[in-house]
Amino acid sequence: MNAWLAQHTQALSLVLRRFKANKLSTLLICLAIGVTLALPSIMYAVLESVSGLANNVKSESQISVFLNSSNSENSVQAVKLALEKNTAIKTFKFVTKEVALNQLQTSNANNEVLNSLEKNPLPDAFFVEPSKLDVESIENLKNDLSKLDGVEEVIVDGAWIKRLNYLLLLGKKIMLILTGLLAVALVAVIGNTVRMQIVTQQAEIELSRLIGATKSFIRRPFLYAGALYGLIGGLFALVITFVVIYLFNQSLAPLAAEYQTDFSLSLPSLYTSGITCLLSLIVGLVSAYFAVSKSLFKSIQ
Amino acid sequence: MITFDNVTKRYPGSHEAITGVSFAIEQGELVYVTGHSGAGKSTLLKLMAAIERPTSGTVLINNQNVSKLKDVTLPYIRRKFGLVFQDHKLLYDRNCYHNVALPLAINGITGLDAGKRIRAALDKVGLLNKEKAMPITLSGGEQQRLAIARAVVSRPSILIADEPTGNLDRHYAADILTLFMAFQQVGVTVIIATHDALGNVNERNKILHLGHGKLVATEVST
Repeated sequence: MNAWLAQHTQALSLVLRRFKANKLSTLLICLAIGVTLALPSIMYAVLESVSGLANNVKSESQISVFLNSSNSENSVQAVKLALEKNTAIKTFKFVTKEVALNQLQTSNANNEVLNSLEKNPLPDAFFVEPSKLDVESIENLKNDLSKLDGVEEVIVDGAWIKRLNYLLLLGKKIMLILTGLLAVALVAVIGNTVRMQIVTQQAEIELSRLIGATKSFIRRPFLYAGALYGLIGGLFALVITFVVIYLFNQSLAPLAAEYQTDFSLSLPSLYTSGITCLLSLIVGLVSAYFAVSKSLFKSIQ
Repeated sequence: MITFDNVTKRYPGSHEAITGVSFAIEQGELVYVTGHSGAGKSTLLKLMAAIERPTSGTVLINNQNVSKLKDVTLPYIRRKFGLVFQDHKLLYDRNCYHNVALPLAINGITGLDAGKRIRAALDKVGLLNKEKAMPITLSGGEQQRLAIARAVVSRPSILIADEPTGNLDRHYAADILTLFMAFQQVGVTVIIATHDALGNVNERNKILHLGHGKLVATEVST
């Protein structure tokens, strides 16, 4: 165990010494890895934030049924009864115009406009959540509801969410493909770097083989180098992601304020950051392993 | 300690470098391998140090048959040897101290213990004051001695040197040979390949004389 630990600390310190001796090139390689990884990382952060927004809205009602403002209590009851009977409806809730106005006043900062109104312009409304969410059943339900007596207007406010979700799905797919392609690029970059190092260390490798070094002894520093390139590159990617999202949020804040929300892109969580670093470490390790097993022992065997 | 029985080595696409060679080397002997250049001295040394495997015949090192050893065990056999290469094979990207440190690192010896051994080895060859110097700044004789320090630092039981006095003047060559004899006197088996006429041979030495890949004479000088 002690010998095992010594072997690994020895390899690691050797790699760190080599990094220190070639600070600039190490920095550039890690930066290249960082920039490559930052792209999917930023994309992931944006998609996560937007889909979080979409999920929030989705839980609210999907169909709004606005009644005629001149409706009597009876006709409201009739609509309510019709809604209760309809099997295509999962739940619904009734919001009177007074309640609606109150909600508007509490949620909207622009009270001056509301106070200047002479009478409540809002209609009574039912907010309906359909049991089936596909486009066709929602369309049918909408038609049924608009035929009811006393109903002024039926608005399906979930449709854009559906489209947004499709777009998000497409975005996620693009991100995955991009990540895959960039991972291949990383394997090439790290693999090439490690291969170059093998070439520059050729004399040492050859000598070590002659005086009794095992293959794993020779391989180990290169694997560490690959893993470290990945890890440092991953950290760079996180830094870039944080900076970019911070800059995005600065521009997003006034836009979100216009829409009366405090929407902002969320920074990568500790978990996501950890996964990013781990993945890039693994990519580094794997590419170093391929490079090493391909070219390390060719000249000696 | 090292036994060759009818050993032949043929490199792919080449003639036989060594043909039907048999001999035995005992613990603590000082053995010279002589012969013209191209006679197969280097090949013989590589076979002894388990760097090459014989094409046919048996090479026994400490009663282990090199041909039958698995690839994974070969490195451990090689660690029994201290090798001084014809072209030194010094690493020019690090100083003398770190050059000598490499065999110890391979053996898993690091830290204080390694430092003591490295300085002892450098002291033995008279390079203790040059531990921080880069090999490129050393003279030919000093480079040779650095290579010897690296060969002996892990205290091998067999020391093999390929043309250690090859391009040194007479004075330096005598120095180096004296150094090797000092190791032999403390019980190390020393094997030296040389094409030079042997000057300072006043001990009881064994001489393996090669000619065109064959062992033409085994003498014991007195």
